[in-house]
Amino acid sequence: CGEYQKTLKATDIGAKFKLGEQLYNEGEFSKANRLFSQIVPSYRGKPQAEKLMYMYAQSYYGMKDYYVAGYQFERFADSYPNSEKLEEASFLSAKSYYKESPIYSKDQASTKEAIEKLQLFINQFPGSEYLSEASGYIQELDAKLERKAFEIAKQYNTIQDYQASIKSFDNFLFEFPGSALREEAMYYRFDSAYQLAIFSIERKKQERLESANTYYDDLMKGYSETQFLEEADTKHEVIVEELKNYSTKS
Amino acid sequence: AQASANGKKYTISDITVSGNSSFSEQTIVTYSGLRKGSQILIPGEEISESIKKLWKSGLFSDIEIYIKDIEGDTASLEIHLFDLPELTNLRITGVKKGKMDDIIEENNLNEGVKITENLITTTKNYLESKYRKDGYFNSKVIVRTYPIEDSIAKPRVNMIVAIEKGEKVKVKDINFEGNTVLADKKLLASMKNTKKKMILRAWKRSKFIEDDYKTDLVSIIDTYKENGYRDARIISDSVYANDNKTVSIDIKVEEGSKYTFGEINFLGNSVYTDEYLSAVLRVRKGDTYNGVLLEKGIADESRPDGNDITNLYQNNGYLFSTINPVETNADGNVIDMEIRISEGKPVHFNEVTVVGNEKTNDHVIYREIRTRPGELYSKENVVRTVRELSQLGFFDAEQITPNFNNPNPNEGTIDMEYEVVETGSSQIELQGGYGGGGFIGTLGLSFNNFSLKNIFNKEAYKPLPMGDGQQLSLRLQASQFYRTYSFSFSEPWMGGVKPVQFSTSLSYSNQFLYDSSTGEADKDRRFDIIGITVGLAKRLSIPDDFFTLSQSVSLQHYNLKNYSTGLFTFSDGYSNSLAYTIGLTRNNTWNDPVFPLGGSNFSVSAKLSLPYSLVNGVDYADLAEERQEQEDIYNDTEESSVTRTDAYERMGEIDQERFNWLEFYKIKFKGEWYTNIIGKLVLKPTVEFGYLGAYNQDRGVIPFERFYLGGDGLGSYSLDGREAVALRGYANQSIQPVDSNGNTTEDGASIYNKFSLELRYPITLKASAKIYALSFIEGGAAYNAFSDYNPFQLKRSAGVGLRVFMPAFGLLGIDFGYGFDPLPGEINANGWETHFIIGQQF
Repeated sequence: CGEYQKTLKATDIGAKFKLGEQLYNEGEFSKANRLFSQIVPSYRGKPQAEKLMYMYAQSYYGMKDYYVAGYQFERFADSYPNSEKLEEASFLSAKSYYKESPIYSKDQASTKEAIEKLQLFINQFPGSEYLSEASGYIQELDAKLERKAFEIAKQYNTIQDYQASIKSFDNFLFEFPGSALREEAMYYRFDSAYQLAIFSIERKKQERLESANTYYDDLMKGYSETQFLEEADTKHEVIVEELKNYSTKS
Repeated sequence: AQASANGKKYTISDITVSGNSSFSEQTIVTYSGLRKGSQILIPGEEISESIKKLWKSGLFSDIEIYIKDIEGDTASLEIHLFDLPELTNLRITGVKKGKMDDIIEENNLNEGVKITENLITTTKNYLESKYRKDGYFNSKVIVRTYPIEDSIAKPRVNMIVAIEKGEKVKVKDINFEGNTVLADKKLLASMKNTKKKMILRAWKRSKFIEDDYKTDLVSIIDTYKENGYRDARIISDSVYANDNKTVSIDIKVEEGSKYTFGEINFLGNSVYTDEYLSAVLRVRKGDTYNGVLLEKGIADESRPDGNDITNLYQNNGYLFSTINPVETNADGNVIDMEIRISEGKPVHFNEVTVVGNEKTNDHVIYREIRTRPGELYSKENVVRTVRELSQLGFFDAEQITPNFNNPNPNEGTIDMEYEVVETGSSQIELQGGYGGGGFIGTLGLSFNNFSLKNIFNKEAYKPLPMGDGQQLSLRLQASQFYRTYSFSFSEPWMGGVKPVQFSTSLSYSNQFLYDSSTGEADKDRRFDIIGITVGLAKRLSIPDDFFTLSQSVSLQHYNLKNYSTGLFTFSDGYSNSLAYTIGLTRNNTWNDPVFPLGGSNFSVSAKLSLPYSLVNGVDYADLAEERQEQEDIYNDTEESSVTRTDAYERMGEIDQERFNWLEFYKIKFKGEWYTNIIGKLVLKPTVEFGYLGAYNQDRGVIPFERFYLGGDGLGSYSLDGREAVALRGYANQSIQPVDSNGNTTEDGASIYNKFSLELRYPITLKASAKIYALSFIEGGAAYNAFSDYNPFQLKRSAGVGLRVFMPAFGLLGIDFGYGFDPLPGEINANGWETHFIIGQQF
């Protein structure tokens, strides 16, 4: 450690490079990173800069500081478009953004950015060895966005704002046609419509019952064996029963 | 190169650098991104890309890349460029030293900066317009650079910025020409910002500022428009210098003739009737033409929430409506108008999203939003959502932005996005110190956006489980003589279905008696209190949805072990307090909870115990009588000490009987209003009232739960459920009631009232620290019985103060108050008191 401290305080950039590289190879990313960050400006424009910038970005990645790593890899890819590490750096840049993506219930700006970067990578390197990994991440992130939209729509159902819930599930089903949550979404959309109709004011009741009925049909069309079959059928019977009042009157 | 549409591929055989640069050839080539041996298209993207790259470095000028030579399919390139000169020395003349740093910073004129023509011009323009805005109409700025010629190859320059501000220019004369209907005086009055120099008018500046002057020319025309002269215009205006200090202004107007309104027809309105719209417009046939009033009825630019036709449509879902007044006929100076309305479809919200919530979970935010998918567009609900999100306290109130996205007039939909910025909402209090004869340590933690369900989830500790909008606080305080532990938790939406707040708190404290023989605490003689409270608060929708109804049940158990307090006449015994509290509050203050600009906050509450005396069959009248007898004996100094001690013991027994279960009711009211006077100056009047009563007068008013007026009102450590009521200008809890005989009691008041008037002005309202100054006058009165009560015999005070709110520390403040009235038993006014405020607001 003594040598590290000494080198850290010294002015010899060559020695810093050497020790930094050694530490980097040993997996001491945090220490290596401190050395690199001191010498990055001095190596600007020099031939060794390419290697340095690569290791610098990698050291952030190794420190799990994905926010900076993503940026540094991106910068590397921009500065050295002919580098043999280009593909790897582009991938790691995108992967860093992926790592930054938070739980679905928080702001998804980094998720969207990660999807964009991963997609860009796939377009740029269609034959890459990282291709399957990258597309796996995209799927995972897409699923996260789906989950977010689904949970928001479901919350409207929970807090009994059924109108907002129906509208949000409509949007969800339109936006994510291939979602794994589709069945559940269709059931809860039907449930919201059912609740809205049953507790409706008289003036709008028939219209709402009929609309709930269509949502039931939609669910059955897509998932005749749905896991919600029992609940759905019970509610559907109530609707049919209630609708009889209107057909006999007219 | 050949000027072909499609470039041809060449291999770069060589790259050379010419021109003048202190950078090495290698560096420049590397920087350009071009490489020897690589294949590029000529002409093609690579070359222009690399020119861009070099430009972007901000180090070079006159960058060009030539093809030097072409042989077959190889090409050699030449990069031609010059270094930009660096700034070495800067001299600024004509301003004070103190201003120089600002100028350097505002224009980025630091040493080593690369000098471009652009920088020179922007600096000159920036400075000139800056001084003109301050009234230096004749200001001139000259920027010159001088190349340094010495042996160093790097091009460098010295720069001189010569500023001649000149005198502040004032307006000597304003002359009007062509005005016959409106007098000079009237026109001058309409020029709100540009005024003639006059000796008697010292309170308004007469500086000449060009921008203000331009605004004033428009105001002149507006004045004509208000008086029916629709065609009035300014034919010419000239500003000319009399000398260095003053200018004169000549304005030539053409008034045109006077008009009146003729027929006003509404076209295209289906939602509202002509009569209704006409009432909103406030312009009628036969009125003198008034262009300004007409505009205010259509869309009042000066008031975004104005009562005009545009807002009428906007607040009722017609987001895409447009309203166009058109003059259809102007015969004989009578103007017929058509108000052409295109209502468009009523707009519903499509997607409603929140962005920027990096800590807070969606469900905590979405449930508070009042604009939900599928609902009719309403500007009012958007405004209210912004206000209520800011009141959660998780986001910076000044930075919540509603964004309207993807408006679709054909479908009648719009997306709504609320952009929020998280603020820290946890507070930590860690204190240690000497006081009361020993070490006192305090550890307080309060988390305002806690997530209880993640308490066992290791992943969520970043650094703490956050984001579910729950509040959790823990507080430990310990010294040699007392310990107190408290815990509280609240969840704003219990079960996540309805806004019903659940809260609970637990506390336990013990106090030990000071043993004078050892100077230490005697742990066998102690006073223990255990308390538990559980409450529910529900937001109401009737009478309006600013109301909250809260209910809670609390239980306190007091236990004395050979410990005398002033509260009881017995030293071994217990007391229980079981009470139900019901409260109603209405809070519509906005926008920032730390510094509300408007609205009001009312609360009324009743805290009740069960009426035990009605059912337990004890004859308290009898006991009261006996107690009085015993007290008389005890106070009679002629009795033997044995008799007196016996009497005192009997009093203790009677009191134990009276206070085994505390029987009381307590009514409180508090109202505060916030009024925005001018700008952000806010006036806040407050009224408070409290009353503590007994169901059974013979059992008497309890010695607990009383009101202690005076000082900062901070809830100090107390054993008896007392309420400290702030009254600045007097020492803490110093205002004790005086009974009808003029004797001061020391056990707190059972009735109090308080009036306060506070003026607040914000110094800064940034997220990192909110600071405001205040001045106040207030007064309060404390009594023990209604028979003595006089709500206007107040202890009065006035003073000034400062508050600082920082997210990590909460509210800190200091107040200086002067008490005008003497304290009970004193003769002189109480005088100055200093109050420190931590974590509480007045």
